[in-house]
Amino acid sequence: MPAKLIVRIDDRIAIWLAITFIAMASLSSVVAQTGVVAHPGTMVVAVVVNNTNPVTNITTPDLRKLFTGDKRSWAGGVAVRLFVRAPGAYERVVLLKLLGMSESEYKAYWTARVFRGEAQAEPVALFSNAMQKEALTIFPGAIALIDFQDVKPGMRVVKVDGHSPGEAGYPLN
Amino acid sequence: MLYYRTAILLLLVTTLSHAQNAAPTEHELVQQLVQQVTALQQKVAALKARLPPVAPSSNADLTPQSVTTPAPQVVENDSPPVSLSQELHELRGFQWQGFGEADYKVLNQKIPELGTYGFDSGSAGNFYTGDFDLLLTARISDKANVLSEIAIEEGDAQSYSVDLKRVLFNYDYNDHLRMSFGRYQTAIGYYNSAFHSAGWFQTTADRPLIMEFASDGGLLPTQAVGMSFTGSIPSGRLGLNYVAEYGSSDTIRPSLNGQTLIDENNGNHINIGLFVRPDFIPGLQIGGSIYHDKISDFSKGPDVRLGQMIVNAHVVYIRHGVEFLSEGFFIRHAYENSSLVYNTPAFYSQISKQFHRVRPYFRYQYINADVGGVLDDLDLRYGPSFGVRYDFTDSIAFKTQFDHTVRKDEPDLDGLHTQLVFKF
Repeated sequence: MPAKLIVRIDDRIAIWLAITFIAMASLSSVVAQTGVVAHPGTMVVAVVVNNTNPVTNITTPDLRKLFTGDKRSWAGGVAVRLFVRAPGAYERVVLLKLLGMSESEYKAYWTARVFRGEAQAEPVALFSNAMQKEALTIFPGAIALIDFQDVKPGMRVVKVDGHSPGEAGYPLN
Repeated sequence: MLYYRTAILLLLVTTLSHAQNAAPTEHELVQQLVQQVTALQQKVAALKARLPPVAPSSNADLTPQSVTTPAPQVVENDSPPVSLSQELHELRGFQWQGFGEADYKVLNQKIPELGTYGFDSGSAGNFYTGDFDLLLTARISDKANVLSEIAIEEGDAQSYSVDLKRVLFNYDYNDHLRMSFGRYQTAIGYYNSAFHSAGWFQTTADRPLIMEFASDGGLLPTQAVGMSFTGSIPSGRLGLNYVAEYGSSDTIRPSLNGQTLIDENNGNHINIGLFVRPDFIPGLQIGGSIYHDKISDFSKGPDVRLGQMIVNAHVVYIRHGVEFLSEGFFIRHAYENSSLVYNTPAFYSQISKQFHRVRPYFRYQYINADVGGVLDDLDLRYGPSFGVRYDFTDSIAFKTQFDHTVRKDEPDLDGLHTQLVFKF
């Protein structure tokens, strides 16, 4: 049999390529919905890190990568430690909007990440912001979302996309 | 109160007496306790002194900074207080998770074709249990962990075998270098990296045939022992990542008619992949990989070797309840010292959308293997699958799937597959 270097392109492959292309094109309508978190509430959620963390600003995409576990280390190598509020808290609602997931999708997502070996465990869900504050104090790589009204003296709040909580353009509302 | 204190004291005495060869006297014990209390008081005082007095809400010191995030300083004392460590139970120790399934499958053709697991092909229909999966993870440190996946698989006549599907030591040096050593699933394409044995994770009731495990008649070397490296490549908003693998896959796959076992007697493979997860379209992944190995074809002689190259390209979008997977493969087998070359193009596309607890899905797959090559038992086959997954809870789901497969020179194959999956 002579050597064949060219793949047979039949109708079915052509249809598959067309479907894939159309699906990709239709994603452009989704892009407009996924830029920033928008919530018509008056509450503001702050991004808080451990006091030893010198970070002062995080972009929304980086924040999304942190809370999806795609970004697992701070620059310099310190492991990121995620702390989230338990279901029912407003911070949880903002987190899910940031990630574009429902509660069940969030749980399934982390179960899958652990199963793939991409995470050691689902982020710890804490029942109060006081517990989040305690965790932030203890772990150098800790990061959490906290209702800005519950931010206490001594907690290190970082800007998001260059905006402080409460400023116009701040995305975590 | 006195009884309570006495009980604690007795408990401490008992504990200390086990920890030391010579039991201390009561006076010595009291001295030790006083010293411990003093040490704890000093530690509390030191921690209080560390707290900065400035309120953060002023934001006076928050200056914008570029994308890179500086490293936090590692403090010496990283041991949480008891109350929080109890809450953060993931810090140490083993974690078990289990995944199971119960299946019923029926086909309209009685001409034998490879069944999966305990499915007895050629009959009206069979119940079987698929894989019973146990995932064991253990955290060694912030950067290192161990993962093992043990599957108990149903074989013929309700016989069961234990397979260590994966055992991995993972070490995350940083986001640019994550290492794994042990038995892993090869990163050929998206599906094999994202979905493992447990049917729970899959939207569909089965894997696409091109991504089926080699031990179940699949085309690809889906598992290997070796080392794997992955990480991000600085690329701004493009979100470029790499994966590199080097290992031994040593695949034995049954032919699709179930009559022969094909020992590929693989050498060491190398697999290189790149994929992007752009910031501007969260949920999108586009990538590809090239896999190369040398395998044997014992049907043509004891020493016949051939180069195996598998090229993959994939587009995946998962967000807002939408799941779109599309992967194309080109498998090329070129015999050494010969002009014989066999090409096998294949693809599958799958789309689904979650509506509350219901997720309807559609999949179309296609394989066209060259006649005469090592994959010629597959020949040309293609067709759609559609079904629905219903999640009763976050841990129990039920799937119903219809398959229609067109096969060259053979009758079309229609199938109904129902599956109950659960995790615990």
